[in-house]
Amino acid sequence: MDAVQFLQNFINGISIGSVYAIFALGYTLVFSILGIINFAHGAVFTLGAYLTYSLAVGRFGIGGLLADLQIPFQFSFSVSLLIGSILSGLAGVLVERCAFRPLRSRGADPLLALVSSLGVALVAVNVIQYLVGSEIYSFPSDVYGDIRPAFVIHFGEKLVVVRTVQMVIFAVSLLVLALLGYMIGYTRIGKALRAVAENASTASLLGINVDRFILYTFFLSGFLGGMAGSLVGTSFGIAGPYFGVSYGLKGLAVIVMGGLGSIPGAVLGGLIIGLAEAFVPSEYSAYKEAIAFAFLFAVLMIRPQGFLGRSQMQKV
Amino acid sequence: MEEFLQNYGFLVVTLLQQSLLALSLYFPLMTGQLSLASPGFYALGGYIAAIMLTVDGCAGVRDYLGWAIFPLGWVAAGIVSAVLALLVGIPALRLRGIYLALGTIAFVEIMRVLFLNMEITGGAIGIFDIPQLFEERWSYILVFGPLLIATLLFIYRLERSRIGRAYKAIREDELAAGAMGINATRYKVQAFVIGAILAGIVGAMSAPFLNTWNARQGTFDASVSYLAYVLIGGSRSLFGPLLGATLLVALPELLRPLKDARLIINGVVLVLASIYLPQGIVGAMSRLKRSLFKIYAARGDDK
Amino acid sequence: MKLSTCITMILTFSVSSVYAANVSSPIQIGIAVAQTSNVALFGQEQIIGAGIAEKYFNGKSGVNGTRIKLVMQDTGGDEAGAINAFQNLISKEKVVGIVGPTLSQQAFAADPVANRLKVPVIGPSNTAKGIPQIGEFIGRVSAPVAKVAPYAVRQAMKQNPKIKRVAILYAQNDAFSSSETVTFQETVKNMKLQTVTLQKFMTTDTDFTTQATAVLGAKVDLVIVSGLAADGGNLVKQLRQLGYMGIIIGGNGFNSANLFPVCGKNCDGILVAQAYSPEANNPTNKAFVADYRATYKKDPPQFSAQAFTAVQVFVEGLRKVEAATGKKITQMDLAVVRTELNKTLRKGSYITPLGEITLDKDGDVNQKTFYVSQIKMDAGGKVGKFVIVK
Repeated sequence: MDAVQFLQNFINGISIGSVYAIFALGYTLVFSILGIINFAHGAVFTLGAYLTYSLAVGRFGIGGLLADLQIPFQFSFSVSLLIGSILSGLAGVLVERCAFRPLRSRGADPLLALVSSLGVALVAVNVIQYLVGSEIYSFPSDVYGDIRPAFVIHFGEKLVVVRTVQMVIFAVSLLVLALLGYMIGYTRIGKALRAVAENASTASLLGINVDRFILYTFFLSGFLGGMAGSLVGTSFGIAGPYFGVSYGLKGLAVIVMGGLGSIPGAVLGGLIIGLAEAFVPSEYSAYKEAIAFAFLFAVLMIRPQGFLGRSQMQKV
Repeated sequence: MEEFLQNYGFLVVTLLQQSLLALSLYFPLMTGQLSLASPGFYALGGYIAAIMLTVDGCAGVRDYLGWAIFPLGWVAAGIVSAVLALLVGIPALRLRGIYLALGTIAFVEIMRVLFLNMEITGGAIGIFDIPQLFEERWSYILVFGPLLIATLLFIYRLERSRIGRAYKAIREDELAAGAMGINATRYKVQAFVIGAILAGIVGAMSAPFLNTWNARQGTFDASVSYLAYVLIGGSRSLFGPLLGATLLVALPELLRPLKDARLIINGVVLVLASIYLPQGIVGAMSRLKRSLFKIYAARGDDK
Repeated sequence: MKLSTCITMILTFSVSSVYAANVSSPIQIGIAVAQTSNVALFGQEQIIGAGIAEKYFNGKSGVNGTRIKLVMQDTGGDEAGAINAFQNLISKEKVVGIVGPTLSQQAFAADPVANRLKVPVIGPSNTAKGIPQIGEFIGRVSAPVAKVAPYAVRQAMKQNPKIKRVAILYAQNDAFSSSETVTFQETVKNMKLQTVTLQKFMTTDTDFTTQATAVLGAKVDLVIVSGLAADGGNLVKQLRQLGYMGIIIGGNGFNSANLFPVCGKNCDGILVAQAYSPEANNPTNKAFVADYRATYKKDPPQFSAQAFTAVQVFVEGLRKVEAATGKKITQMDLAVVRTELNKTLRKGSYITPLGEITLDKDGDVNQKTFYVSQIKMDAGGKVGKFVIVK
């Protein structure tokens, strides 16, 4: 492999990895505050994409209840993205109310929270399917305005290319990472969230309204998830109601590798897995899928807390 | 009778098969371990049977053995599953809780991709036209039924044996059990292997039943289904998985007229069951029994 | 062993005794295509084509006076769904024959079931190699890729005689795509072109960064894609966005208007070989096109025409059975009808929307004319059509 090919693979890896990273950011937020895996995140991711699509394009296809519907008004992409993400945040809150709060108030096994969130995901995805069918919905090519669709760097005879949408996703994930880091480290809300993450009952004794902060967490996670889904949708199209769910599984590998609960870890894990997948030679391209999970297994065996996670003490 | 078998035979066989797969999850759960590895062994068992039944290299053996090649497939599937489960289980079962669940999820995905790529498994396209053990699909009740009964008997005896009590001790408090001299890891691996063998055998039986076999048979979605059967039915009693499987398999069929809505209802059932029936239906029934008993006993004191 | 075989035999005999029933009137033909899942986009077109055939032939007094009725069963997008649909049609609905399934991948799974139960199947859109050879009861009206694919490559050469370097991509988890790509690779070799890169993907993929950048890096003049509309369309979009300017050939999976929403403006210019042209000049096609245009205001697509043809072959076969045996179908035993129907299918020729066709002894179709079309998208990138190139 020569230098140019290496560079192309590297850029591909960052490109692929930033999709995983942006998905994992919202995913790991809930785990870092509440210690549970929210399987409904994939559904909120999907929902966000559909909502943004409805607001920006609004044309539905042949399947589902809303077949052939054309929404009479459209918004610009950035406005649709904002509204779509806010609605996804609210969806996240709804998920918390339906799937997690009742279990929390009963002091139930965290395993049941897993199943419950899976149930919610199933409901959400199938409602979407019922409404708009399972075909692909694509954003028009000019969602980002007049920017060229790809950037090309020439090295003499050879070239290295990258699509603009992928660069947008990468930039956004870094931006979100920075903003989240600032919020959690330096604002009062962030301090309260950290207190809740540390020990919820102590935090409530200290006067922090735990329930309200959990709500904030889910809103934020849903907002990030919906935004991520919309951005990924502009890149690859919305490949049916299950398109977020398939990221959910790989997302597990990402957040474990990066460290369960670590937000920078989510981005790091995503990029590492993306890079690993990009460097697989094309004869073995079908094994790409297994890379994320082979890494996951290896990390669990060697260092379960992942790269940047906190070591888990076994409390007696 | 024929009409019923014709229309519902497939459903009944599926019920039996899914109950067995739920029970394969039950063994590790007896030791308090959540393992989502069953689909990997199920797919493995199915491939072994499918390969033995279709590959040219085995044609000679097939002609010689006739119908006996089918039970041979089950045995082979069981043995290979056991070996693989030992190899994977010994390192994996050092993990606890959510980490073990994640590790088993990873295992299933890796198996799935391996199957997707091997020549002998037909690659991504899979294996077609698997020879049939029976003419009619509902006849497979004669295969899955006895296996289910045998498994239930086995669990019944196991729970009352010394090993079963060790499992319970580990489930209740692993550290305390260790302090009492119980080798927790050994029993956990043992339970894991038994569950794997069961899943493998069911896979080998299912390959002819389903006619075709490919990597889509062993996915995370399947783990979720089996988990749901056990949780909803009840994870503490051997009838729990049975009940859960029956309910969740029959429900979509009964709701078939509703088409798309039935998956939504499935999801709603999962949510409601995990909130209101944390012990599963069997657990809720026994709680009901106990509260009724208390009422009855209290009334008896009123003299 | 003896006991269970005994039981099975007794039960089987008692069940099969229910089978010795006459064929019902109207005569039922099964349609097992994908009505749900993302393959439904192909299935939709097939149902429309079959529906037009039902109306047309019943209007021409059906099978010598007896009407035909289409019974639909949804196969979904996977193998298990296809098998279930077939089983239902054969055992519960007691059809005389089945048109379906949609995908070659499903056909490899479900056709053996029908073959074992001695029910004739005509595939309307299964083009992979080896399908009619599955069994004596399996046939198809969709010409195999081996025949159709080379036309597209020749057309590409006509448009750009300087083509030297070719990139070939295919969906490795789909039986049809894996079969089609072999034909494309051979055609490329036979035309003295060079395949500089061969890329694989899955029908479920959405991120084609690796494949697309590899194609760009290899500096090719021609790209050939074998996949289904959803994945293939997405791949083309990403290729074009990255700056690929050369010709793109799509396989049979691209043969659907449902490709357009996926790649939009980027679909423009894709060459797709066709087994059907709305301009074909025979009375059956003229009636079919007229009916389709009246309802849908546009020309019928290939999948609809092939579904129509499959139903036509069954109807004409049934008429031939009545002529040969001198009895009415409704007075004959179902099992006998199925076997006799299967035998007549391979005899004689049919004037269909696809032109004049015959089925050879394996059940494979012989078709005379093929076409190549080029996709033309409108300025907005939303509406497109397949324009036959001369």
